Amino acid sequence: MDGYLGIDVGSVSTNLVVLDENEEVVAKIYRRTQGKPIEAVQAGLTELEDLLTEPVNVLGVGATGSARHLTGVVVGADAVRNEITAHAMAARHAQPDVRTVLEIGGQDSKVIVLQDGIPIDFAMNTVCAAGTGSFLDHQSSRLGIPIEEFGGIAMTAERGSQIAGRCGVFAESDMIHKQQVGHPTNEIVYGLCQALVRNYLNNLAKGKDILAPIVFQGGVAANEGMKRAFEEALEQEVTIPEHFNVMGAIGSALLAKRIMSRTDNTTHFKGFHSADFEYKTSSFGCAACANSCEIIQIAQEDGSEKGDVLARWGGRCDKWDLAPTSITQA
Amino acid sequence: MAPTVGLPRALLYYKYHAAWDAFFNHLGVETVTSENTSKKVLNIGLKASDSEICLPVKVFYGHALDLGEKCDYVFIPRIVQVEKGSFTCPKFLGLPDMIRAVDNPPEIISPTIDVRNGRHAIRDAALEVGRMFTDDEAKIVKAYKLAMKALRKHEKDLVKENIEKTPIEKLKSLIGGNEGNKEPVLRIGIAGHAYNIEDPYISLNLIQRLKDRGIEVVTPENVPMKKIKKAAKDAPKDLFWNYERDILGASYHWVKNKVVDGIIYVVAFPCGPDSTIQVFVEGYAKKEGPVPLMSIVIDEHSAEAGLVTRLEAFVDLLTESKLSAQGV
Ligand code: SF4
Ligand code: SF4
Repeated sequence: MDGYLGIDVGSVSTNLVVLDENEEVVAKIYRRTQGKPIEAVQAGLTELEDLLTEPVNVLGVGATGSARHLTGVVVGADAVRNEITAHAMAARHAQPDVRTVLEIGGQDSKVIVLQDGIPIDFAMNTVCAAGTGSFLDHQSSRLGIPIEEFGGIAMTAERGSQIAGRCGVFAESDMIHKQQVGHPTNEIVYGLCQALVRNYLNNLAKGKDILAPIVFQGGVAANEGMKRAFEEALEQEVTIPEHFNVMGAIGSALLAKRIMSRTDNTTHFKGFHSADFEYKTSSFGCAACANSCEIIQIAQEDGSEKGDVLARWGGRCDKWDLAPTSITQA
Repeated sequence: MAPTVGLPRALLYYKYHAAWDAFFNHLGVETVTSENTSKKVLNIGLKASDSEICLPVKVFYGHALDLGEKCDYVFIPRIVQVEKGSFTCPKFLGLPDMIRAVDNPPEIISPTIDVRNGRHAIRDAALEVGRMFTDDEAKIVKAYKLAMKALRKHEKDLVKENIEKTPIEKLKSLIGGNEGNKEPVLRIGIAGHAYNIEDPYISLNLIQRLKDRGIEVVTPENVPMKKIKKAAKDAPKDLFWNYERDILGASYHWVKNKVVDGIIYVVAFPCGPDSTIQVFVEGYAKKEGPVPLMSIVIDEHSAEAGLVTRLEAFVDLLTESKLSAQGV
């Protein structure tokens, strides 16, 4: 079978998919990056291959995510594109007339505004946990309810408890208070979903036109309570695509497929077991602001003093993000 | 020594510098144009100006004050009306006064340009300035004529008469190649004031970034005035700001005749005229196109990284859509 590979390596999760010629998902992997993007990609590829029921002849590879340049070199990618491009591509593939993409992952969130399939605006949040999935993760462990059960429980609530949740810390004490005065658990759980939606809409999506059709994706979209909370807050229907948690990988595979099918080029893919990669990891402290982030970087071992820097992470702002390739490449 | 006149490289300099240079040079006056906008220039401007004012005017302060130290005079015309019945942004009227109000202001030359002052309004303004440097009126009139000629030539040189759609065959040939992701040429219209889009510092180098990617860039100044005026007739109401009319007319022309694949509107913050026109252009691009339009609002805090991500996403998917739609 011919197929296309998409890889999305972010600081938290690493996702891989294989699409067939009809652009359907035939296999997908969602795993933690755990600060080791190269290992995550290599292990992910092995797992992915195990999932395939028949051998796949890879015709093109796309990479995205904050470690996309690194991934591109490690696996031999044909299309290296940023997350906004990849997520928008996947969203419009699932819903061609999509106008708004709401995306919430474990540690980050985004909103993308599209016009006629073209992303014209976006916002991204990697700093404030109160607008990401970790807000719910944290409260779920506080409540002793597994996060996977949150959605089901939230759906049974008639209404949500009003939880003051501009910031995770306040939300927590308020939630405990609501518990003590006897609010039903399901209303508290749904109230937490509403608080996250409120944070997301008031911070990230502030000043953006949230127009229908709306697609909600990212790991947090597994939680039906979140869909309900979004729909109530926006007074609009919200669609969750089938493969909501690997949309970045799908988008990059789609981009690779389109690019490769337009040319006679053969893929740069090094195979599912591309372990022969020499690199050097180093770190330094950033002194540019009071956050004093520890920046980690990976450089290709090419005999030279410094090598080519392929990835950097650890910064709380984008100061050290690598210069994007696709805008300078072509 | 010949007197020197400083031309701040900001605001209407981008429209009229050809005329200004020609005029002063014929009079034997040396012109000094300020350096490109930089962090230093902006900081001078930020310090001296009102924090509520738009970014381009802040930048103008920086250029004018920086020049003040290097020249005998700084040239800051008061541009009120350049076309009958339409106005310029009120900021241009107040510009000379704003600069005079700073501590230790430079020596300013500020003729008033207002076509309501009669048929010879601009020539009279030129005479007023010229007399500061010579008694030879004939020479001043000659300088004025040369200036107008230089301006018309400059404007004409910028116009690209026949911008048309890229033929599919060309697209195909562009994506061939062995180079992996070799991409086709898109044509993107950049709408906005020349002093924003052509200033690499203010616009975060937008035009060059696109060109580096092999994208053809067109600006309102590339559109013939006749086409601008014709397209602007579609505006929901008569626009009384004439520079903004040009931006709107050019954008409408691009949309209506589908000559660009996308539009990027660069808006200064806070700018009343821009935000009004932006709404019209966005609506028109959606309704009459659709031509995807991305607005970029710039202020002194605009960050490069976010812009690059937006540009990439816009351009990558514009390319993808264009090729898919044409079956390439
Ligand atoms: S990486 Fe950004 S947030 Fe972190 S210390 Fe440097 S400037 Fe501050
Ligand atoms: S038109 Fe807008 S940007 Fe230009 S000077 Fe006036 S307020 Fe400033």
